[in-house]
Amino acid sequence: MLLKLAWRNLWRNKRRTLITTASIFVAVILSTFMRSLQEGSYNEMIKNAVSFYSGYIQIHKNGYWDEQKLDNSFEDLDVVKAALSGDKRVTVATPRIESALLISSGEKTHIAQIVGTNPEQEDQLTNLAAKVVEGRYLTSDDQGLMIAAGIAEKLKVGVGDSLILLGQGYHGVSANEIYPIIGIVKYASPLLNKRIMFLPLKEAQEMFVAQEMLTSYAINVENPKQSEKVAQALKAELNSEEYEVMPWTELSPDLIKMIEGDRAGGYLFMAILYVIIGFGIFGTALMMINERQYEFGVMTAIGMKRGKLARLLTLEMVIMAILGVIAGFIAAIPIITYFQFNPITFKGEAAKAYEAFNIAPIIPTMLDFGVIASQALVVLIITLLISIYPILQLLRLDPIKAMRT
Amino acid sequence: MISLIAWRNVWRNPLRSGIVGLAIAIGLVSGVFMVSLQFGILESRTRDIIQTQISHIQLHHPQYEKGGETKFILENGPQVFEALSKEPYVKSISARILIPAMLESSKGNFGVELIGVNPEEEAELTLLKDRMVAGDYFKEGRSVGIVIGRKLAEKIGVKVTDENGEDSYNFRRRLVFRFQTASNEISSLRVKVVGVYQTANSLLEEAQVFIQRKDVDHILEIPGEIHEIALITDDRKEFIEEKLTKVNALPAIAGNEGAKVETWSDIAPDIQFFAETIAASSRIIMIIILLALAFGIINTMLMAVLERTRELGMLMSVGMNKLKIFTMIMLETVFLTFIGAPIGLLTGWGLITYFGKQGIDMGVFTEGSEQFGFSSIVYPELPATSYQEIIIMVILTALLSAIYPAYKALQLNPSEAVRAI
Amino acid sequence: MNIIETRDLHKVYEGVVPVHAVNGVDLQIEEGEFTAIVGPSGSGKTTLLNIIGGLDQPSSGNILVDAIDISSLSQNQMIDFRLQNIGFVFQAYNLIPVLTAKENVEFVMLMQKRPKAEREQRTEELLQAVGLGDKINTRPNQLSGGQQQRVAVARALASKPKFVLADEPTANLDSQSTTQLLDIMADLNEKENITFVFSTHDQRVIDRAKRVITLEDGKIVSDERKN
Repeated sequence: MLLKLAWRNLWRNKRRTLITTASIFVAVILSTFMRSLQEGSYNEMIKNAVSFYSGYIQIHKNGYWDEQKLDNSFEDLDVVKAALSGDKRVTVATPRIESALLISSGEKTHIAQIVGTNPEQEDQLTNLAAKVVEGRYLTSDDQGLMIAAGIAEKLKVGVGDSLILLGQGYHGVSANEIYPIIGIVKYASPLLNKRIMFLPLKEAQEMFVAQEMLTSYAINVENPKQSEKVAQALKAELNSEEYEVMPWTELSPDLIKMIEGDRAGGYLFMAILYVIIGFGIFGTALMMINERQYEFGVMTAIGMKRGKLARLLTLEMVIMAILGVIAGFIAAIPIITYFQFNPITFKGEAAKAYEAFNIAPIIPTMLDFGVIASQALVVLIITLLISIYPILQLLRLDPIKAMRT
Repeated sequence: MISLIAWRNVWRNPLRSGIVGLAIAIGLVSGVFMVSLQFGILESRTRDIIQTQISHIQLHHPQYEKGGETKFILENGPQVFEALSKEPYVKSISARILIPAMLESSKGNFGVELIGVNPEEEAELTLLKDRMVAGDYFKEGRSVGIVIGRKLAEKIGVKVTDENGEDSYNFRRRLVFRFQTASNEISSLRVKVVGVYQTANSLLEEAQVFIQRKDVDHILEIPGEIHEIALITDDRKEFIEEKLTKVNALPAIAGNEGAKVETWSDIAPDIQFFAETIAASSRIIMIIILLALAFGIINTMLMAVLERTRELGMLMSVGMNKLKIFTMIMLETVFLTFIGAPIGLLTGWGLITYFGKQGIDMGVFTEGSEQFGFSSIVYPELPATSYQEIIIMVILTALLSAIYPAYKALQLNPSEAVRAI
Repeated sequence: MNIIETRDLHKVYEGVVPVHAVNGVDLQIEEGEFTAIVGPSGSGKTTLLNIIGGLDQPSSGNILVDAIDISSLSQNQMIDFRLQNIGFVFQAYNLIPVLTAKENVEFVMLMQKRPKAEREQRTEELLQAVGLGDKINTRPNQLSGGQQQRVAVARALASKPKFVLADEPTANLDSQSTTQLLDIMADLNEKENITFVFSTHDQRVIDRAKRVITLEDGKIVSDERKN
């Protein structure tokens, strides 16, 4: 009965109901949008940092991360391959063998990280082929180098020139070799641009005298959010005495620390936003009550108990809150999706600054139902908390006075 | 008269207008303050970076670049250093040798930047001595001593953390550096770690290794020469361009083709990058806040228009035309906005000024930044241009929020409005 | 001369059941008349008054005010026409609540862009005439219902209209206030020759009217002139 009355009351003054519901609706959209933008910007940060080189997960021989040397490499066995191909969430796993070496053009010397890799998989992982600015991308059978642009510049070499590699291979054997430069890649990160060069996996293993050995598998997963879960699953598959499986959170602890710091600020901002939208909803709720003084007066006059009236009003607020929240939830999805694919793009000075670092000057949103649902819930709670005040006022209603207004 | 009516209409429902005003005030105070915190953090990081890493002004050979070749020494380096040291505005100054080197240890090989310094100069300029966490800040001994960063210390096993999280340091490890001399020969140097420093930037902690200049200049075949001079002036970082002119005018530098003078902003364009990022994210913060406020304003005004249907009908009957009705509602909305906006902005400005002097301990939010060498005290600040931008955005918000309710009022038909009781 | 003339006026409110609120009204009102339009509620009084006042459009037929066909005016022209030619007194919600009595009266003249001195003088005169010379700076919510209606009459006259339309002006008033209001209006009619048209079902108003037009179901069923 009360429910029917509440429902009819809402329909009786559609305009007022619409305005109140709209304020809840907009609150949901704003707060979900903001959270999605925050999470999206972290995602972009992670993507920038992780997908340039490290991948979302890496597998090493146990102890390699602390002592990154060739002696801590592992044999490329079927156990590992099986574990990787067995997990559907793993989109690509690139085998690598890497170590720092001195490289020399004969006249000039430089220190670089030589990465022996499977060119095809490396491209899937880090989109490397697209970064080629001179020469061509590597194939598995090449006997040549692809170097980062910063190294080429420093050593004043180009495609067709040869480089001498000097250093230690597996178990201390000397690894010296001459290779022609086949391609040059330009990296976004200045650090990588000065440090990294590639050899096909086989060639690198031979040079390091480490046939069939790898220092790492760099892995991409379908959804970055799953990194930790997939890492856990791989860990369970593999012998933990022999292998270490590290998600990006362990590979780049500084990044996660930075994101955590930023997220704290993000929560602060959300709190401010909640206060503002809370005021908006409070204002409309209060107006609704004031406008209906006469009606409430009549209802008490004809014998409706105030407690019951309060329950009626609560019911109306709850219905409006739920309607607003659901509508907001539904409307937020296309908005957030739109901004995910058409991200906010900086222009002018800011864009130049981003481009100087070869980072796309964009902030995409991230569509995550968990985020939307939690925001919808927060707004629902805020709305219900806000309804307490007008309802308390109602309990003190004086029907004579109310009817006179 | 229309503006008088609009103004009085705003105060017809003081509670309602008060709520909207309060929301606007709170929104603006918090928005402005949050933005100023971001700028404050940027400012304090910039100051940290200038203090501990890049200084105000640096001098190099024009062809020198980071990780570059040993032979690009600063021309007449010692004389330039001498001349600069005598300048009254130079507060502290350090002359350095920079060598890209390979550090070979039992834990692996690491590419590092070996920095040859005079320990006293460096202690004064970048406070390196104050940033030591273990061991000695150089000491004379039989072997060549180096000071390395905490991160590198971890990697090469100098710093060991036991199960209880207690750190201990093992200074007995011997290490070898390999590098290229000025004549492109590969040379090596045996060293011993004597101390460990910390800094805000873990990349630098991993890459920068300090050594005494006198221990390396002969091996590098550049005795007495230097690659870099870094100095801090007595002026604020904003006014370094002036000092740059003075430095460039010095006889030792003017006409010296082998010396290039740069300021901190030339050296670290990434600071500009962060500044731009923060400016952009501040704008997004303000836009979202103003959007939220705009909806509050629109809702309130819409309610105000709809509940006054009868009255608006009467106004139209007695001869108020549509333009006047539109203007009246627009003005009401603008007045409503301007109740809270100045309060919010002034309070924000007050808070920023107060905390800009007092500082806020952000330790809660930047957990762990202290151990990176960042000060956790932030002094919020907001550039005048940001205030202007925010004020313009607030005015735009008021006008844009006004349009819809005013438009709604226009759609009322006088006879229906009169009948609608 | 006819100040108001309607020719075969019809007004139909469309709906599930169309309502023929005004059904072929031919009416002439001369300058200086003091006319009451009466009839039971739903007889079409208010609709007729709204159409005469240009607040509503007829479905068919013409209204001539001072020989001008107002049904041909655009909405904005209509607003201006009302401002210059017609004074209104409604049953309630007559006054701008945030303005004082004086400001309410002055408001109309302000929109007519009359000079300040004239505005002030006329406002004072009018408020004196309705017996509220001592209430000029009072806001509507501090005036009684009768006083509010008197301010409304003063405001209706402020624009020097050709006639005043009053829709149930006494509906919310006690008998003393009603008598006062009617006295004032009758006085203005006598002395200033101002034309008044009321819609009412208040016997006290009907008694004072010089002409009583009775409507039933949107049609004129009687039209009596008293002497």
